[in-house]
Amino acid sequence: MPHQCVRCGKLYEDGAEEILKGCSCGGKLFFYINKKKLEEQQKIVQDLTQKEKKEIEKDVFDLIGEERDKENPVVLDLESIRILKPGKYELDLVHLFKKRPLIYKLEEGKYLIDIPESFKREEE
Amino acid sequence: MVTIFEKLIKKFLKNLFKKKKHIKLGLYGPPNAGKTTLANKICEDWLGEDMGKVTNMPHETREIQIKEQVNIKSGNKEISFNLVDTPGIATKIDYEDFIKFGMGEKKAKERAKEATKGVIDAIKWLDNMDAVVVVLDSTKDPYSQVNITIIGNLQARNIPVLIVANKIDLKKSKIKKVEAAFPQYHVVGISAKDGTNIDEFYESLFKVVG
Repeated sequence: MPHQCVRCGKLYEDGAEEILKGCSCGGKLFFYINKKKLEEQQKIVQDLTQKEKKEIEKDVFDLIGEERDKENPVVLDLESIRILKPGKYELDLVHLFKKRPLIYKLEEGKYLIDIPESFKREEE
Repeated sequence: MVTIFEKLIKKFLKNLFKKKKHIKLGLYGPPNAGKTTLANKICEDWLGEDMGKVTNMPHETREIQIKEQVNIKSGNKEISFNLVDTPGIATKIDYEDFIKFGMGEKKAKERAKEATKGVIDAIKWLDNMDAVVVVLDSTKDPYSQVNITIIGNLQARNIPVLIVANKIDLKKSKIKKVEAAFPQYHVVGISAKDGTNIDEFYESLFKVVG
């Protein structure tokens, strides 16, 4: 499955070093895209202005909240949430209810590790 | 002698825990169905205070709200609930919908982001619930993806469900349609706003959780 840098739109295949370390443009947010939706999604990212890309980046980092490790890139699974433009979200409820992680945090030496911590239910 | 004493202590502890048991009751549904209005009605009836702010703009509740120890009585029974009001679940959240209500772009985008997080949180919390009241707007088509997904997932998790067809005070309200859409569930028509049929709601709730 391809990963697309939200900032510059560059695509990376699974396991690419850039996904772990951040894109060559400095971007640390990737969209994880289903191959079938690749063209459609590429167009969405292409049509975004620089300002919009930055807004989306900030919004996604806000959505993840404090769990985010600022050093490492994150990958948002577009199967669950699509962001068409800043402030325009499409949610796939079937995926969300399946409790698949929305966001993958990447660490060196590990590939696509979900962060159950960020999805842990709040303590009662 | 010691055995009797031990038995008494055990009985005392058992009763203590029995009394402490609160049923976690979640209010779920699409945005603007009246979840917070119902939560407010319940809290007003049994605690004498409100739970959350209500407006006409969708996604007013964007964070999980909890009221602990709401003791509800119906007939001779009394049950203690922890009431959990959740953000409305939606498949599309667009800041332009908020702009239509006169909100500025920046605030509208912030609200859209918070509402998206709210949907994710509401879904995360589902497994915490002992029972769920699904609040639907009875003036709207019940066969929506949101409604069907919520109810289907509750069924899959074996969580007891009561469906509330809200807003029966409005002319367009069609409870029969809600009943026809979810025939395997108990549906109670109410107006959370003016309190119509609220006693029937409490009775139905006790049947579901009892």
